Amino acid sequence: MTYQTTASQAAINTPDTILIGIGNSGRQDDGLGWAFLDAVKEKGLFKGEIIYRYQLQIEDAEMISHARQVIFVDAFAGELESGFKWKNGRPSRDFAFTTHVLPPEAILFLCEDLYGKTIPAKVMLLEGKEWELEMGITEEAQEHLEQAVSFFHNLLKPEK
Amino acid sequence: MSQKITIDPVTRVEGHGRVTVHLDDEGKVNNAYFHIVEFRGFERFIQGHPYWEAPLLVQRLCGICPVSHHLAAAKAIDQIVGIDPEDLSPTATKLRRLLHYGQVFQSHALHFFYLASPDLLFGLDAPREKRNVVAVAIENKELAKKGILMRKFGQEVIKTITGKKIHGVAAVPGGVHKTFFPEERDYLLQENDTPSIDTMIKWSQEIVDFIKDYHHKNHQWLDTFANYPSGHLGLVSGDGALELYDGYLRAIDGEGKLTLNDIPDTAYLKYLTEGVEKWSYMKFPYIKHLGRKNGWNRVGPLARLNVCDHITTPLANKELQEFKSYYNGRPNHSTMHSHWARLIEMLYCAEEIKTLLQDEAILGEDLLREGHRRPEGIGIIEAPRGTLIHHYKVDDKGMITKCNLIVSTTHNNEAMNRAVRWVANNVLSEQKEITDGMLNQVEVAIRAFDPCLSCATHALGKMPLQVSVFDNDDNLVMERIKG
Repeated sequence: MTYQTTASQAAINTPDTILIGIGNSGRQDDGLGWAFLDAVKEKGLFKGEIIYRYQLQIEDAEMISHARQVIFVDAFAGELESGFKWKNGRPSRDFAFTTHVLPPEAILFLCEDLYGKTIPAKVMLLEGKEWELEMGITEEAQEHLEQAVSFFHNLLKPEK
Repeated sequence: MSQKITIDPVTRVEGHGRVTVHLDDEGKVNNAYFHIVEFRGFERFIQGHPYWEAPLLVQRLCGICPVSHHLAAAKAIDQIVGIDPEDLSPTATKLRRLLHYGQVFQSHALHFFYLASPDLLFGLDAPREKRNVVAVAIENKELAKKGILMRKFGQEVIKTITGKKIHGVAAVPGGVHKTFFPEERDYLLQENDTPSIDTMIKWSQEIVDFIKDYHHKNHQWLDTFANYPSGHLGLVSGDGALELYDGYLRAIDGEGKLTLNDIPDTAYLKYLTEGVEKWSYMKFPYIKHLGRKNGWNRVGPLARLNVCDHITTPLANKELQEFKSYYNGRPNHSTMHSHWARLIEMLYCAEEIKTLLQDEAILGEDLLREGHRRPEGIGIIEAPRGTLIHHYKVDDKGMITKCNLIVSTTHNNEAMNRAVRWVANNVLSEQKEITDGMLNQVEVAIRAFDPCLSCATHALGKMPLQVSVFDNDDNLVMERIKG
């Protein structure tokens, strides 16, 4: 049996795609980004590089400058239809910076500004509910995670 | 009316701290304190764990300098398995040193480019939204790109030896656990997606030139800002050279007179002790025979360059001699010169890394030594921020019964408080209006020490730094809280 990969799927599932999960598994649903990576790793369909981050740092602009594309995955405090959101990531200079928070849009902007490279990007947001110092994500967030992982794997799956 | 100013949190440092400034009715400073408000727990909860876990557990104290804790603990645990530093195999010693120089290099790059450079590039009165590394990146692209790659290089050194940039493992009791491969060495020697070690040396020289030029143009405030006499403490080698991994404890007083004369690091308890204050979780170390009032010391790059006689690498030694000549060989108490000293140390680390990478011994396979068990071990190294002491006792089964950690930032506790008082007295006192730029100067003084408050107290939870101004009746009248 032979499979053909659509252009959009091929664009996401390449060895030079970086998948970055942002979060902290010690703070309940803040661990959604990492849990997403764990699930993707376990399935073994994704061909790119998987990177865990507590938070994005300015040097990540240099790292993604070597990639063909990048996907950021992060928990979201608020309501999302279907419990997750898959959207395009766009460089933006309009961001609030603190030592502990640097959004994907800022990294994309710095990559463009410092290295002259506009890297195609996607952002996966996962709706979380609880953020206390505790291991493990909540039941509701788990459902959102499963839906998002299933959606992502459908994107990766080769079409017949 | 009397006032109390609070800066909370103090920013661009690692960890969570708070500054309070107490003013009287005329606005004169009554007192100023740098409070460390995090909870300390590592020394307690490591008890009951087997000794071989210590180098792995304690590196979780910090995400910036885990290698320092890993190596200090490893040196202590070596002694528990009967191995003194001179008994380690040459390969193990050299790989640990290579790891340590990589760590100091990346940590100094992080501090200078990411945390301190906004103060120097944009000035003390720059708007708050501009005082950060992103603004540096936007306005000084070449400097930012070099800073990013210099930090990356140090992290790559760490990764090749420990497997990970943060919280990897290299040292085990009596040695190291992994052979260093030729391809790993070549990766660091050659240009690829990370620049080569030769480029790192070149850029380190350039950044030393940058700070000297900056000093030339701004020497008035750099020389005088938070300049106050203090003792200085650091490790030196047997012949008085700058030493970061293993050596003798040397301290000098404010006049340059020796107060600790090259004592073996394992004898630290005979000479050093710690005081406590009710307003801070962080202790106050001092030299016993000088007492709490006179026995406190600065540690870190400025202190290390003050106590050492020379540096073993040629380029850094040349810079050291120029640095020392600025005050005619007398101790340098200019807090802002810490940045200059830090960059000279970066150059030193880069030179040492190259020497080690060219040494065939790092590719050796003699990694582990064994000895006879002892009940106690002490490991002291120079972490990026200063002298770091790890001390463990174990029972017959090898379980840790006692742990004492005196970290670099703790040594600097009194010095940082003096720096805060200097700014309070010289900048904030008797002012009609206290501006954001004035309060920023409190942070500039603290930041020069590159404190790691999470290391110093082994924090749990959020870690931002907080300045409060109180009146005579201790009512809070002004506060700065930043996240």
